[in-house]
Amino acid sequence: MRAVEPWVAAPMETFLAESQARLCLLMTTAGQVVAQHGFVRAVDVMGVAALGAGIVASTSELARTLKWEQFTTVVHQGPQQAHLLASFETPRGRWVGLVVFGPDTSLGLVQLFFEQLVKDLAAAAPEAPAPQPVLAADFERELNASLRTLFGS
Amino acid sequence: MSLVNFTAREITCKIVYYGPGRSGKTTNLHYIYGRVPDTRRGRMVSLATQTDRTLFFDFLPLELGTISGFSTRFQLYTVPGQVYYNATRKLVLQGADGVVFVADSQARRLEDNLESLQNLQHNLLEQGVDVRTFPTVFQYNKQDLPPELILNQAELDDALNFRDVKSFPGDALHGTGVFETLKGISEQVLKRLAHNQPVS
Repeated sequence: MRAVEPWVAAPMETFLAESQARLCLLMTTAGQVVAQHGFVRAVDVMGVAALGAGIVASTSELARTLKWEQFTTVVHQGPQQAHLLASFETPRGRWVGLVVFGPDTSLGLVQLFFEQLVKDLAAAAPEAPAPQPVLAADFERELNASLRTLFGS
Repeated sequence: MSLVNFTAREITCKIVYYGPGRSGKTTNLHYIYGRVPDTRRGRMVSLATQTDRTLFFDFLPLELGTISGFSTRFQLYTVPGQVYYNATRKLVLQGADGVVFVADSQARRLEDNLESLQNLQHNLLEQGVDVRTFPTVFQYNKQDLPPELILNQAELDDALNFRDVKSFPGDALHGTGVFETLKGISEQVLKRLAHNQPVS
């Protein structure tokens, strides 16, 4: 399991153990991955997060346009596995969770423990850190070298 | 907003290619996808119509490399350019760290470029983004067309580039200017991270 901030790890580990979910991804509504379990390549995770955030965004927008209550959860039941996609509030803003599970658990259990995950995250979230410079001022040289390598020029 | 993982020393930035329909946004991503080694990119996701017009977005994740000790990843998105897809454009623009405005250099498309640029500014303002300081570069695409059909870089700068940000002539189909454009926006986005900008 990988988490951008350490406080997310414990609630997510508890959720994974209790729900028996296979894959789990927490992301911002802009599709930025906050924590993930079960994916191998980071670039694959980003693709899944972009699609998940897109589904939540378009579903919410559809609800707003039709003047319905906001949808917070979408479930897709496939023949071998299912996924639950849900948006929720955290002290760090609105996040989206994507949970993939198989026949060894049930939608009801996953939903139950997901609700607990949301509560645990709210309780665990520390104050947001103050802004700080991340990169060295002379990052351009390394950026240019990285891009040259990337494009093979 | 860029996502920074201080524990794993990773940075993820979101860059959106914006512009009028058929200006070459998806072509930019296709070119990048074709040039970058498999190990440094993910699958390109395209949510498009049957006629290959972008319906929701195209998405390409890139592993840029290590910069200042941080493993740096870029998420490249395109928006659908057609006027009536504005709701979708707003969704894709959410949380962007920078924008590449891909303009169509054809003289007859100038009004479309202006309309799309105004739409971008309107959508950014609606999301509380200060358009005067937001990382933006221009790419004037299709500069390979006959000179009598297109406006040159100086003319397009006069018409579109009010903030005098970096602009690049391009021919995205053959790759001209694609790399330079990506480099230009990368510099601006990362510069924010070197100057105490808030991250999530």
